[in-house]
Amino acid sequence: MGVVTVTAKFKPAVKEPGIPGMLRMTEERFTFTPTDQRSTVKLDVSFSKIKAHRFTKEGTKQALLNILHDTEKGGGYIFEFDNFSDRNVCRDFVGKVLGKFQTVPSPVQNAPELSTLVHGEQISAAELERRMKLLREDSELQKLHKQFVMSGVLTEAEFWAARKNMLDSDTYRTSKQRAGFKSAILADVRPLTDGQSNKVTFSLTREIIHQIFAEKPAVRQAFLNFVPSKMTENDFWKKYFKADFLYRAKNTLAAAAEAAEDEELAVFLKKDDIVAEESRRKIRRVDPTLDMAADAGDDYMHVMDHGILRDGSKETADTDNGLPQRTLLQDLNRHAAVVLEGRSNEVELGDTRAVAEALAKSKQVELSNQAEDEDANPDRLQRLRRMTEIEDLQGSQNLPFAALCIKDPREYFDSQHAIALKTLRETGGGTKFDNLILSAKEAYEYLVDQISEVKGGMNGPVIQSEAAIKILSGLNQHVSSTKYNLGKSPQESVLGRLPNKTKDEILDNWASIQELLQHFWSSYPITTSYLYSKVTRIKDAMTQIYRRLEEIKESVQSDVRHQVSLLIKPMLQALDAAFAHFDNEQQKRSAKSEGRHNGVAP
Amino acid sequence: MPQVRIIAKNFMDMVAALPAMKLDKLYDSSLICEAVLRSLPPLAKKYVLQMLFIDLPVSARTMEEWVLPDGSSKHKVAIDRLLQLRIFLEVIDRKRESSYRLNPIFQENLRKYLIHGGTLPREPMPSNVTVRLPTLEDLDAYAIEQWECFLLQLINSGQVERLTGFNPSMIKVFQRGLLSTRDNEPPKLTENGFQFLLMDTNAQLWYIIREYISSSEGHGVDPAELISFLLELSFHAPGKAYNMNTLADVQKSAISDLAALGLVKLQQGRKDNWFIPTKLATNLSMSLSDSSSRKEGFVVVETNFRLYAYSTSKLHCEILRLFARVEYQLPNLIVGAITKESLYNAFENGISGEQIIAFLQQNAHPRVAEKTPSVPENVTDQIRLWETDRNRVEMVASNLYDDFPSKEVFEAACDFGREIGGLLWEDTKKMCLIVRGESHQEMRDFLRRQK
Amino acid sequence: MASSVSSKLYSDDVSLVVVLLDVNPFFWAGVNANSGTNQPAAALSFSKFLSHVLPFVSSILLINPLNQVVVIAAGVKSCGYIYDSGGGSDGTSVSDLRAGFLRRLEEFVERDRQLCRDGERAAATTSSLLSGSLSLALCYIQRVFRSGILHPQPRILCLQGSPDGPDQYVAVMNAIFSAQRSVVPIDSCVVGIRHSAFLQQASHITGGIYLKPQQLDALFQYLSVVFAADLQSRSFLQLPKSAGVDFRASCFCHKKPIDRGYVCSVCLSIFCKTHKKCSTCGSDFKQASADSRSKSDSKRKTLEAS
Repeated sequence: MGVVTVTAKFKPAVKEPGIPGMLRMTEERFTFTPTDQRSTVKLDVSFSKIKAHRFTKEGTKQALLNILHDTEKGGGYIFEFDNFSDRNVCRDFVGKVLGKFQTVPSPVQNAPELSTLVHGEQISAAELERRMKLLREDSELQKLHKQFVMSGVLTEAEFWAARKNMLDSDTYRTSKQRAGFKSAILADVRPLTDGQSNKVTFSLTREIIHQIFAEKPAVRQAFLNFVPSKMTENDFWKKYFKADFLYRAKNTLAAAAEAAEDEELAVFLKKDDIVAEESRRKIRRVDPTLDMAADAGDDYMHVMDHGILRDGSKETADTDNGLPQRTLLQDLNRHAAVVLEGRSNEVELGDTRAVAEALAKSKQVELSNQAEDEDANPDRLQRLRRMTEIEDLQGSQNLPFAALCIKDPREYFDSQHAIALKTLRETGGGTKFDNLILSAKEAYEYLVDQISEVKGGMNGPVIQSEAAIKILSGLNQHVSSTKYNLGKSPQESVLGRLPNKTKDEILDNWASIQELLQHFWSSYPITTSYLYSKVTRIKDAMTQIYRRLEEIKESVQSDVRHQVSLLIKPMLQALDAAFAHFDNEQQKRSAKSEGRHNGVAP
Repeated sequence: MPQVRIIAKNFMDMVAALPAMKLDKLYDSSLICEAVLRSLPPLAKKYVLQMLFIDLPVSARTMEEWVLPDGSSKHKVAIDRLLQLRIFLEVIDRKRESSYRLNPIFQENLRKYLIHGGTLPREPMPSNVTVRLPTLEDLDAYAIEQWECFLLQLINSGQVERLTGFNPSMIKVFQRGLLSTRDNEPPKLTENGFQFLLMDTNAQLWYIIREYISSSEGHGVDPAELISFLLELSFHAPGKAYNMNTLADVQKSAISDLAALGLVKLQQGRKDNWFIPTKLATNLSMSLSDSSSRKEGFVVVETNFRLYAYSTSKLHCEILRLFARVEYQLPNLIVGAITKESLYNAFENGISGEQIIAFLQQNAHPRVAEKTPSVPENVTDQIRLWETDRNRVEMVASNLYDDFPSKEVFEAACDFGREIGGLLWEDTKKMCLIVRGESHQEMRDFLRRQK
Repeated sequence: MASSVSSKLYSDDVSLVVVLLDVNPFFWAGVNANSGTNQPAAALSFSKFLSHVLPFVSSILLINPLNQVVVIAAGVKSCGYIYDSGGGSDGTSVSDLRAGFLRRLEEFVERDRQLCRDGERAAATTSSLLSGSLSLALCYIQRVFRSGILHPQPRILCLQGSPDGPDQYVAVMNAIFSAQRSVVPIDSCVVGIRHSAFLQQASHITGGIYLKPQQLDALFQYLSVVFAADLQSRSFLQLPKSAGVDFRASCFCHKKPIDRGYVCSVCLSIFCKTHKKCSTCGSDFKQASADSRSKSDSKRKTLEAS
């Protein structure tokens, strides 16, 4: 607690650039003073008026914090910060303060995205652009959009809610990314001297602790061993930084002396066994064809005038005493390895001990996994064999495959008709066959008899010439007739034989019905009054279409009327089902409300 | 027989060229029907199958309905082929429309074959005869070695280590057209010869067999008999030994030549002599259609004009030597470079740049063949450039006309020359012009008329 | 030649045909008992059936010696490989084929019979194991893809007589989709009494040909006209197009084809009635009635299209 002062921009609205200035927060109030003295925007707000705060997720474009008067209506103060850590400090602060003020703390985690917090239905420009693009590209979609959204049957949001997958193919990808470790190396934890006294100060944050634990497993292990049984957390870190300071100062004699005296401190100065073991294991897993001995001599540390400047002084290999030296390269590599490993999910920046334990546990799991890997020796051998072949002369291992896809939905439409015809044709045949019950013994015996009959030899021509020619011409006719009757492509289909106008009308209505039914069924069960009104709207629209379909059926010429009615039938059926469901629900609803009025319910 | 023409897969043309009588006689054997069927284009094969049980002619128009519009050219090829080989017989009906029916002999034999199976004219060696037979791998190696040896001998390469048992005069016959024989000069590979070397083994084999058959025709051997024997041979199981005594005289004399080519391996038993067909023989009937006989490439060309050929074959080395400088020969790798000198050598021998490029492209190693272009563009361009370098001077036979009586006549002659597209050069001052040789007659007629 | 190079040659006109043979004793015996009453042309005895199929198999091998044919039998209780022209042990000549084929078929029937309980009775409409045989075929094709230098064009031909087994719906659809993914067309020739909705969908989805011959006594003619051509030639030929595929899905609860139904929002299982709990994945739907506050997701399946 206390006071937080950071530079921030105040934004009267989300879209505005913001006014730079200083944000100062105390336990009672927060004030904002613009850098520009002439600016009139000055804030001085008491936290008691504040009900909630919202913030953008880490990793999004802007580090925003919105301090709200009212959770429902909105209206608050939006601040943009230079970076997320500043924002997080403020956020945590506000969270604590609000927690104090309110008996029920407002939810802090997972606040909605900025777009939804401002208005019920506000969409970003990019989103709008995508929608427009989709409409432009797909004329059928455009037609539907025009028909339903413009006429008010569906709202814009409802229309697009059903097509989420078309919209955000790329948006969700960014939001799912987890923040990894900072790529800045740990050396940044610099001791601060005030110049007067002989005191040095190290500032530790959770983030830094996490990083230390991740990069130096020995320290983590020591922490788990010593704290809190042997020493307090504070003592532990003091010791750690003392060792670190000694180490940095390159005062090896002093370090050796200290280590001899204090065995806990010695732990920090010793070589990190866990890291060493890990690297040994990694070496064992290196591609067997790689000649690691070849570059073992590439070590310029021992050569005069070679080396890297670190902290202003040249690193020299000084291996006289027992204490190991870490070279910059080793540090860099270790850090890089940790960054690449990434942050494991479970570890949250909270209690130091919890962090240490979680890290230790995740390492354990990794280790056991690796142990399994090493057992898979044949795999390694396989790899060895593969690698020794000249790889650029190898063919690719990929097999041909086709992507699965949904084909033209119109085919379903055609099929309806064909099925109707087919069922007509087929009824009657084979009813006797259906009722036959046979014993397994007889059946198998029959089969064996038949096979031995074939074994005896086939005699005579397999087919009579007349039958063959009949079939050949029959198939030909069938092929050429299906071309005109029931082909695959829309031009060749049943629809193709209808007058163009009727065909278009039917297809339009079909698309509309699909759209409406989708919305209709997805609104069930009706839980809010909004959904109720939506269903009613849709039902009215469907009734219109129902009437239109009837009209089409009446209007067509008698020679195609049968065809058209066959095509329309499934659509009407689907609508009927929807109406029936609607009426049913309606009845239930009224029955229930009646029951309540009559006072049956307690 | 036509003169030497190098067309890869025209053995069946030869069969088709047989007189109808002999062709029909060939079809007496169901094995030959089978071999001929296999040689057909895919569409034709299918037509035969669907006509197999139909005894009546089917009208040509009906057949056209069997294919989609895209396939009409393929349909025509298929029908033509079937007619050529007398598998389809044309029947003109009363309405003067042509219709086709399957050749009854052919049809009957195929039907029998499908239902009852065919039989070989001879049985393989019974298992109780104890003769050590070569394994299939040995046999393959033998066949390939024999064939390569034959090819090397054919192109008169210095690399030949031993001669095949082929009659040298026969070799001469084969060389006719492949090698140019100028006096006092060692014979060199001609364009045709180069093309021949670039063909795949089966096509080469068929070419040689064709030559062989036509030359033995000169010795009074019936080609139909040889053809049927060869086709029959292709149905023998490879690796099985067959008794020589089952062969007719013509076949016996042919078999030693076939052994020299690597088609069969001869083996002497205690009592009988045996012949063992190799893969080359069994492949004879197999791959007369194109795609299935494709070979795997082996050449990698780099942008720095270096050339790597993953091959153990001496023949490949010889072919590469024709246009590239071979630098090293490792057990399974030939390393070379394409240089200006090596290419000039090739051009001297009448090999064109396009042929070389085509060879490199067709034989590209599968891994580079996936890329486009499979041969680096700078290499192909340079090959073309070097070729055109040699052709800076173009020879055109032409006539010089001078001594014109007047400027008018000269100009009229010039105009006329230009009109007929024969004018090459003119000099108004000296009043002379040069016109292509082939236009000389017209020019002369024109000048006569001017007088 | 660098023979170690394992790059594949793709050949256009070399086919690998996997024939799925319906060896369902109840169906064939049923047809036998039923024959002579009506539709004599539509009835086919098993021996007749074989006498059409065998020449067809030989003819595939005849037209290109590199072609390979594998026959898989689908019985009531089991499936098994009957014949493999590339297997080596069976020769490719017609007489070898016949002998090997019939011997293995007998063995298969015997094995299938042993799996049947004594005195078991079943209807003639018992279905055979289409899903199992399809899976076997696809496995075989995958193996061929992964071995050898030559890469034939694979296709599957289902010769099915017995009716669809609704309980196999999910397995069959899975097989169909994996066939589609690995570009293997499934041709179907139905020799039974009814159309097969499974095979219609299979052929439609994988781009194969579906045919239900009218005159079964000339089955070979149908087979040679429609199914003999390799995939390359098919692009030039007029072949029967499937007209009107029955796209209806079967519900998972009663395995009946349905027009409209309920779909589980979690695993997409299809039901003909509302359920409180999805029987496939166990998701709890609560009660999908108006007063319920739950987010019940039992959605009405409308005009499903594939």
